[in-house]
Order: sequence, then structure tokens, then C-alpha cells
Amino acid sequence: MTDLLVASSVSKIYFDTVEKNNVKALDDINLSIRPHEFVSVIGPSGCGKSTFLRLVAGLDRPTSGEIKVADRKITGPGADRGMVFQEYALLPWKTTAANIEFGPRLKKLPKTEREAITRRFVELVGLKGFENKYPHQLSGGMRQRAAVARVLANNPTMLLMDEPFAAVDAMTRQHLQEELAAIATHERTTVLFVTHAIDEAVFLSDRVIALSGRPGRIVADRRIDLPRPRRWEALVNDATFAAHRDELTRCIHGKAQKET
Amino acid sequence: MMARRFITEILAFVVALAVWQVLSMAHIWPEVLFPSPLQVLATFHDDLLSGVLLLNLGVSLKSLLLGFVVGCVFAVPLGYLMGLSRTSRDFFDPLVNLLQAIPGLAWIPFAILWFGLGQGAVTFIIVMSVFFPVLHNLLTGIRMVQPVLVEAVQTLGAKKIDVIRHVIFPATLPNLMTGIRLGIAFGFRSLVGGEMIASTDGLGYAIFNAQQYFQSARIVVGMLTIGLVWLAMDRLILRPIEQRTTMRWGLVREGLEQA
Repeated sequence: MTDLLVASSVSKIYFDTVEKNNVKALDDINLSIRPHEFVSVIGPSGCGKSTFLRLVAGLDRPTSGEIKVADRKITGPGADRGMVFQEYALLPWKTTAANIEFGPRLKKLPKTEREAITRRFVELVGLKGFENKYPHQLSGGMRQRAAVARVLANNPTMLLMDEPFAAVDAMTRQHLQEELAAIATHERTTVLFVTHAIDEAVFLSDRVIALSGRPGRIVADRRIDLPRPRRWEALVNDATFAAHRDELTRCIHGKAQKET
Repeated sequence: MMARRFITEILAFVVALAVWQVLSMAHIWPEVLFPSPLQVLATFHDDLLSGVLLLNLGVSLKSLLLGFVVGCVFAVPLGYLMGLSRTSRDFFDPLVNLLQAIPGLAWIPFAILWFGLGQGAVTFIIVMSVFFPVLHNLLTGIRMVQPVLVEAVQTLGAKKIDVIRHVIFPATLPNLMTGIRLGIAFGFRSLVGGEMIASTDGLGYAIFNAQQYFQSARIVVGMLTIGLVWLAMDRLILRPIEQRTTMRWGLVREGLEQA
């Protein structure tokens, strides 16, 4: 199977406008992701994991190296790489349905098709009955569901997620994680997921990439061979789950201590 | 809820009128310095029937609306241009800042020289007064747009024109509305000032003229008419727009109280 995403020798140096110096956020990242893989990137804060996601989204440019998605070099943002943000980023002036319909509308799909897509994804993320609510009328968890549906409705090649569940409460977070795992399996979406929560990464992913502290380098690349569908109820006491979590924790913290 | 609110609002006028009536009945000042509500009401009635009030109101509103529209036609596109392009912002910003400090009324001498005495000169002054608050508030609004909203729609395939239409424009609407309110308010000030000096009709002229003849009740009629016109504009045009847009979207609330 050919790789969907290929990052070759990607480095990123940015200018810190507060500290007035150059910061090396990412150093020589080489990474390949296959179609339908769910890959999480974890690491201590400031390790450049979100920076890497922004490079894939095309919202920032790498200082050196290149990233290709479906054999095309990334030069800017595009509908093939939809992103879900921690702060939801729904348009406050559009209803849930209009937010979800936004991508298909930009693609100028016919109205009946757009409505069918919207209905399907509203139901998929469990927002039926909330189609005509504005984002400020929804709870945090519902907003993030709408944000996920908005990207999925646009049928992207890759779903990029930047700590999407960091702002919701712990109970809702576990629900959302289970839903996302099920949706990604069902829709066969390729997902690149950034988080600082190791258990979240292990729970969701087929593969977890661990980055070291600044500058971010890949220190571990582990396959998570837990069966799907995954449920917290079953995994919370699972030995394999715990082994992955503990090993990745040692990877990140061991490395972080050596660096500082 | 609506009824209670309406009563609270009407109450303010009743209280103000009562205080005014009591003060005038106390005869502390002569009537020419402090006309009573009844006197004002009588004058209002006379001027309404003779048609002179509506005539002056019509002249003033025409200048105000024309000045407002022309001011916005220049300020709104320039605002979006400056907000979205670094080069044009660097180019226009110092010039705009310099001109912004000059009050609209300072343009009266040139307005009279260029347009002659009359509503042309008044309209020009209103344009100069409306332009800057609209532009300034619009620029503030563009600076406050959350970058994450722009990035989110870009990853959904939005091009620059889509970003402007679906993100920048609605996001700047609360500030644009503030700019429009301030613009109209500044426009009213310049309208009255301009008509007193540069015109021979309109509400401002009527107020000025009434003072020459010691018709103090007529002065108050002119002042209150301006206030009532503004109140009507706010209630019938601006607020309904806000209720249907920025308030509905949760961007702006009426106040901080619950419910």
C-alpha cells in the first residue's frame, strides 16, 4: 500500500516575537502515514506537535524539508486536509447545519446533495434536533461534535485534529473519544491526531508517534494492536493498553529529563 | 416581559417630564430662559400644523442620510482594504490618523467656499464626520477577528473571497454597527452645527433662528425633534438589525444580567 502522507526531513524554525530569538520547533522529522491509519502525535508541551500538524494543514511552511499528501507537495491549506481545533472554531453566525454544510457549499454541490450530506453527518455525530441552533447555544462537547462533522462532511483525504478534546470535561471527553474511534473505523478516515494525553493517544490510535522536548524529534513510533471497537470500560483494566501507556510515558519523560 | 420593559422605558420619560413641569411651575427662572413642557407642546403642535417642522426635518434628514451614505461608501471599502492588506494599511494609516483629529465642523469654511451656503456644505461636513468613526471601528473589528476561524475555513477549502464573505464580514458586523451608530451620532452634531452656520434651513437653522427671536420653546422643539428622530432610527432600524444578526449569533448581548 502506498503511503498517503510522507514527511521528509522536516524542520521548522520560527521567530519568537516575545523573546526576540529564533526557536527550533521541529528537527528532521521523517514520517509516513498509510491510508486509513489513525496516527497520534504526543509529546511534552512545546515539542512542536501542533507545529507539525499546522505544516500538514498548510497553515505554516516548513523551514526545510517537505511534506507530501497523496503525492502532492503541500503549499497551502486545502479541503483535502480538514482540521479540527481545540477551540472548536465553528462560525458563530451559522447554525449547526450551516456549519456542517459549509464545505459542500464551497464545493458548489447541488442543494439536495448538500442537504443529504448534512443530514447524514448531523446524525453520525448525534446532533439531531440541534440543526438550527447556533454554536453559542451548544455545550462544549456538542460544539466539538459539530466541528468534527463539519470536517467529515467535506470528505477530506485526511482528518487533522489538534487537541480537540482538551477543552471538554472528563466525562464528555471519554464519550467523544469512543465516538471518534467508532466514526474513524466506520468512515475509514485517515486521522492525524495531536494530544498531550498519552492514554487518549493509545486509546484512539493504530500508531503513536512520540516527540522529544524542543526541538521536537521522533523518539518512539509504536503500533497499538488493540482490537476495535474500543471502549473505555473494557480497556481501563487491559494489560496491553497499560503496557503501551507506560512504555510511551517512559519514552517521553525519560527523554524530557535528559534534555533538561 | 416585553410589556414590563416597555413600561420601564416609558417611566423614564414620565419622570423627566414631571421634573421639568415641576421646575417650570416653581417659576425659578423666567419662561424665556426655561420654557414649560406645555409651552413646548403648544409650539410643537403649531409648527407641526404649519408644516414648518416637517419641512425643516425633511431638509435635515436628507442631508444626514446623504452624508451618511457617502461617508460609508468611502469608509467601508477603505476599512476592509486597510484591514486586509498590509501595504495599503501602511500607506493610508498616517494620513487617516492626521485627518481624524480634525473635527467635522472645522471643514465649515471650506465647505461654504466649495459648495456655497446651503445643504451641500452641510452634507459635506456630515460626510467628514461620519467617515472616521465608521472607518476606525471597522479597523478595530478586523483586528479582533479570531485567526482560528480563518484557518478553520481555509482547511475546508475557502479561498480569500470566501474568507472575506463568510468570516471577516460577519465577524466585523458588531464593530461596523458601533461605527454606524457613532457615525450617525457625529453626523447629527455636525448637522446642527453646520446648519447654524452654513445654511438657511433645516432643524439646526430653526434652532439658531428661534434664539434670535427669543422663542425658547421653539429651540426645545428643535432639540427634542433631533432626539426623537435618533430614538426612532435606533429602535426601528439599528436594533432590529442587531437582534437579527449579532445578538442572535451570541456575539453581543444587551447586558450582563441573566435571562
